[in-house]
Amino acid sequence: MSRKQVILGAQFPGVNNFTVWSDPQAGSQIAFSSFRRFAETVERGRFDFIFLAEGLRIREQKGRFHELDVAGRPNTLAILSALASVTRHVGLIGTLTTTFNEPYPLARQLATLDILSEGRAGWNVVTSPGAFTGANFRRGDHLPYAQRYERARDFIEAARRLWAGGSFAAHGRHFDIAGATDAAPLPQGAPVIAQAGDSDEGRELAASHADLIYSRHGTLEEGQAFYADVKGRLTRYGRSRDALKILPGAHFVLGDTPEEAKARYRAIRLQQVSPKGAIAFLEQVWNRDLSAYDPDGPLPEVEPDVSANLSQGHANRYDDRLETAKAWRALAESEGLSIRDLIIRVTERKQFIGTPQQIAEEIDRHVQEDAADGFVFAPHLTPGGFDEFVAKVVPELQDRGIFRREYEEASLRGHLGLAA
Amino acid sequence: MTSIEPLILGVTLHAGGPAHGLAGGWRERWTSLIGALDGVAEFAVLEDGFARPDGDGPDAALLANWLAPRAPRIGLIAGAALNLVEPFHVSTAIATLDHVSEGRAGLLAQRLRGPRNAAAFAAIGRLNGFAEAGNEAALDRDITDAIDAIRRLWDSWEDDAVIRDAGTQRYLDGGKLHYVDFAGEVFRLLGPSITPRPPQGQPIVAARWAPGAGDGAAASADLALLDVAHIAAFKARPDAERALIVAEIAESDILFAALRQAAEAGARAVSVALSGTPEEAQVFANRTVPALRAAGLVRPAAEGPLRRRLGLPAAPNRYAAAA
Repeated sequence: MSRKQVILGAQFPGVNNFTVWSDPQAGSQIAFSSFRRFAETVERGRFDFIFLAEGLRIREQKGRFHELDVAGRPNTLAILSALASVTRHVGLIGTLTTTFNEPYPLARQLATLDILSEGRAGWNVVTSPGAFTGANFRRGDHLPYAQRYERARDFIEAARRLWAGGSFAAHGRHFDIAGATDAAPLPQGAPVIAQAGDSDEGRELAASHADLIYSRHGTLEEGQAFYADVKGRLTRYGRSRDALKILPGAHFVLGDTPEEAKARYRAIRLQQVSPKGAIAFLEQVWNRDLSAYDPDGPLPEVEPDVSANLSQGHANRYDDRLETAKAWRALAESEGLSIRDLIIRVTERKQFIGTPQQIAEEIDRHVQEDAADGFVFAPHLTPGGFDEFVAKVVPELQDRGIFRREYEEASLRGHLGLAA
Repeated sequence: MTSIEPLILGVTLHAGGPAHGLAGGWRERWTSLIGALDGVAEFAVLEDGFARPDGDGPDAALLANWLAPRAPRIGLIAGAALNLVEPFHVSTAIATLDHVSEGRAGLLAQRLRGPRNAAAFAAIGRLNGFAEAGNEAALDRDITDAIDAIRRLWDSWEDDAVIRDAGTQRYLDGGKLHYVDFAGEVFRLLGPSITPRPPQGQPIVAARWAPGAGDGAAASADLALLDVAHIAAFKARPDAERALIVAEIAESDILFAALRQAAEAGARAVSVALSGTPEEAQVFANRTVPALRAAGLVRPAAEGPLRRRLGLPAAPNRYAAAA
């Protein structure tokens, strides 16, 4: 039996503390030269696609703009269009909200990207927090939280009608629209649809409507459980197990020896979680001003404030602050962790740490043992974060016969092994 | 004949319509078209075909972002039907174009009319936060509001907001980001932008003008695009001073006379409407434009930021504290 091929996505390092800006090698987060260099590197590495996240409002903490992490990004569709101009093969997937877009303008833009790129467009479908992000949009906080997935599903269906070309119409709770477009036939028929929500509703939307899932289940066991769950939902919609690809987000740290990789990992984590960054993170859970605390000292004895939210626009949310604080205290006490050490620990994400051979082997194991179909890797540096991976890990994967040596298909759907 | 100041030369192209539908060969056509015009015209106005009945074509702002890396000199003024879309998204798309093109970006504020406007509103549906499809005065006001909000977003990051200061462990100086807190007639917009200030500070804003047809937008724009016959009427307006007058004329054999007439009437620039075939663009670039230059009617295209090339003043940031 032939071995499953690995899918590789490359996330442009973005607005969060995993992007290290304090390193001497860290470049511009907005200059086109950074995006171009990033794209050319991953295309040289034969990646399936570039992946861009979205944020439509500057993050805030304690009523001020969050200053400690990278902030600022281009318009997603605009920068992907520019990248389509300077690349030939690599897919271009943008995260775009269904909450603050409407089907005709957005579907037309995605059709434009698919044509500009000759069939390399993808759309990561997300929903947005209403009141916070809505302040930047005409419709404001227009959508009840409970209806956000319903709107997303109806949005995708309306978009697909548009991509079919000619006249389109949708009449329902969320859309009452009609018109015509000449955006057809598209090179891919329809752009690739990705979905990132992990709730039951999110999984169901992925099973019914998506071509790939960007997930957060990094360990082998968690990944296998998620993989089985989501793939199991596909038959309900008459879809084959191969029709939906599961790609967890992950990070990597390379070294010539395992020890070197571990040491580099520790150094990178210290860059990612600065002393002030550790306090800021703790404040998101404690919901209090903790600026007087020593990041190298113990956790605060005061309990979290469970009233209104101190920080806005952060992806990390802790629903039960008191429980989280209790668990963190227990962890810090049992291992003697300072505030900064603790934050470094609790904000760890899936990491591949080791030599190129080790990392290739672990990727291979996750894919062959059905914990994933591949990964969306996010490096910690802009724009050179994939240089080493492309030079060292990709050849290992190719030597194992689980990753392409040359692009064989013209479209993103083709790269992913999806039917048009 | 009296001598005239040579005009700045631009072209107007339609991203939608029958010549530029999305049928095959589309990328090649645009690549050769922009290739012929790069270094010849100072700027290209890319008219967006939103809800155009004879072919809506590609989104003009995305097309401009795609063209920018393959045409290193020409200014790209991308159209958007501002009544129908989100000012926030338009603002970041044009700011991104300015970053990608290193200072050659502009926005054409399009106001759709008649049956096409009705079709455009049917395509997005009746939504809160948008002006009423049939209320012409409200649509005019909304265009002006949208331009104002977009311009404020471009200023919402000061040029030096990214500090990367290891000492204070801060990437950003939050004091150099600003809420725009814009309140228009039908929408509000808080800001700041997600996109750092574009290289030009303010990309170029262009708008069309004709007597009696909703004129606030052109007066607040950097470029007022109008028919030669309307130049005198536009100049008579009390608020006409700040906009640079661009005469839009058809590519035809009266081109020489039309340019002279436009210059004498007070136009500083001309935008020649091309039908959009690469062959026509080749003839225009290789024969017509050299002849126009030889006649002293148009000046050679320059390089660098579009704002400077158009002779417009540097754009101060309205939110930056006075030095």
